[in-house]
Amino acid sequence: MPVAELLIGGILLGGVYALMACGLNLIFGVMRVINFAHGDILAIAALSTVSIAVGFKLPFWVAVVVVPIGCAAFGALIHVLVLRRIEGAPLIMSLLATYALSTILVNVAILIWGGGYSGLPGVLSGSVRLFGINVSTSRLVSFACALGVSLAVWWLLEFTRFGRAVRSVSRAPELASISGIAIERVRLAVFALGTAMAGLAGVLVAPAFAIDPQLGSRFIIKAFAVIIVGGMGSYPGAILAALLLGVIEVVGSYFAGAVIGSAFLFLLMLAVLLIRPRGLLGAGIRA
Amino acid sequence: MRKINPLGIAGAAGIVALFLPSVGSDYAVSFSIQLLIFLVLAYSWNLIGGYTGYTHFGQVSFFGIGAYVGSLLIFHWDVPWYLAAVVAAFAGAVTAIPLGGAMLRLKGPFFAVGMFGLARVLEAFALGFDSITQGGTGIYLKPVSDLRPLYYFAAAVAAIMLLLTWKLDNSRLGLKLLAIREDEDAAESLGIPTTRLKIGAFVASAIAPAAMGSLYAVYLGFIDPPTAFASNIELTTIAMVLLGGMGTVLGPLCGAVVLSVVNEVLWANYPQIYLASVGGILLLAVLFMPRGIVNLGTKSGWLAVGRPLFRRLAARHGQAS
Repeated sequence: MPVAELLIGGILLGGVYALMACGLNLIFGVMRVINFAHGDILAIAALSTVSIAVGFKLPFWVAVVVVPIGCAAFGALIHVLVLRRIEGAPLIMSLLATYALSTILVNVAILIWGGGYSGLPGVLSGSVRLFGINVSTSRLVSFACALGVSLAVWWLLEFTRFGRAVRSVSRAPELASISGIAIERVRLAVFALGTAMAGLAGVLVAPAFAIDPQLGSRFIIKAFAVIIVGGMGSYPGAILAALLLGVIEVVGSYFAGAVIGSAFLFLLMLAVLLIRPRGLLGAGIRA
Repeated sequence: MRKINPLGIAGAAGIVALFLPSVGSDYAVSFSIQLLIFLVLAYSWNLIGGYTGYTHFGQVSFFGIGAYVGSLLIFHWDVPWYLAAVVAAFAGAVTAIPLGGAMLRLKGPFFAVGMFGLARVLEAFALGFDSITQGGTGIYLKPVSDLRPLYYFAAAVAAIMLLLTWKLDNSRLGLKLLAIREDEDAAESLGIPTTRLKIGAFVASAIAPAAMGSLYAVYLGFIDPPTAFASNIELTTIAMVLLGGMGTVLGPLCGAVVLSVVNEVLWANYPQIYLASVGGILLLAVLFMPRGIVNLGTKSGWLAVGRPLFRRLAARHGQAS
């Protein structure tokens, strides 16, 4: 068994999961909304990246800058048009709303890009030797960017004024409001930030994976698995769990084939839900 | 203005359903079978999603389990389709009991995500264990020559679900489930055995969909993992219940009829925007009509309020005081 290859492959895969799951987790922590459309935003970002790089023949870094900004704007729009309107409603309403959004986005993606697979040949191709193992450049770069941004957002949450506002809104919205924090503006900013993280994850996924409009539903379940294993609302938990699940998926796929391998993740998620619903590092948030 | 009795609507629907096969074309029967299957799914979802208030994104798991159990029985042992549907329903119940016991310890978003994941796990297993399920190739069944028996079977199950929902809506049990929906801790502290009732509602909402899964496989003459565990079946079912009115007797009926007609028009004319349209309807319903058509009807006064039993009790109470 090629232990080192599998470990490194898994950790590299985990980086993208971390970025995506952290965005999802941030949104859940602050707004108590499970964003089912998160994966589809990732898919559309990835497809847009292909269009920018292959269709318009612009350099890859243009997509790295433009796509997350576009996603943030889109997220802000969703928040204003949909989520803000159902803030006080029962939880089921926000679940249904984002679920509906997700199907709309998949359909729009199929209309624009067609149902087939596309990819980014030639961007960040080649491989690098790392600890005596050949690692593809695109995976290494996307891992570094994804983990870097995830950690940067963590720093933002822990050590800035904005971060303190976000944390207080997530723990006690009423108290935050009394203390003079504009909770609506914080929620809007968090939703836009979370969507931008999904967008960036999509851009980074583009050179490394085959992409199609259904990509979102495959990724969202992995992101769910990550935040449940890590603990809903726990930021470091999500990063840790993402790397762990990346390794488990790669090792599982090596032994049991890709289909069953990714099913391992869900089984692990179900097991964690049953045995320790608050996850590895979760604080036990009341739903 | 005379108010329409909810039972009158259900009765009229029943009469139409009874005579449709003898007067309608094959196309009408085929369309109605789909409508009835969705009607059963919607009534089943209503039990757990509408009354008990648990957002259930995994009902299609039981539909898929039923579809596979039924098709395998028919494929390997040539079991008659109605017997296969009954066995499938049984299989649905048997899998739902332990699953419900485990999953219903989760609340709110955790339950929703867990069930959503479960449906995808089962789809992956159906693809992966191809020695049993023939994986992505799917299982082909002999096409049925006459759809009318299927129609009557689905109509009977739909009628049973409607009657059960009506009984439930007028019972203490229904009130207990509503209490769980509104505030589970408060319900528990009032002595309502919440865990047992939740699991009961969950299992009850799994049985009929499993039978319909088997029936659907026979109706199509084919089943593969993406069809059996299709997320658009889940989406359409939930959209129907929400559009009609969650936790009401007539809600699923109204929602299923309206949305089935809309769906049929969409499929016929704009199949490429089918998903987005259903999603759009669901989204608009969440934003502007979260309590559904039925609630709109009672509010504007053309539909009598449900729960005749409680109205009678209230009337008696009024006389006494």
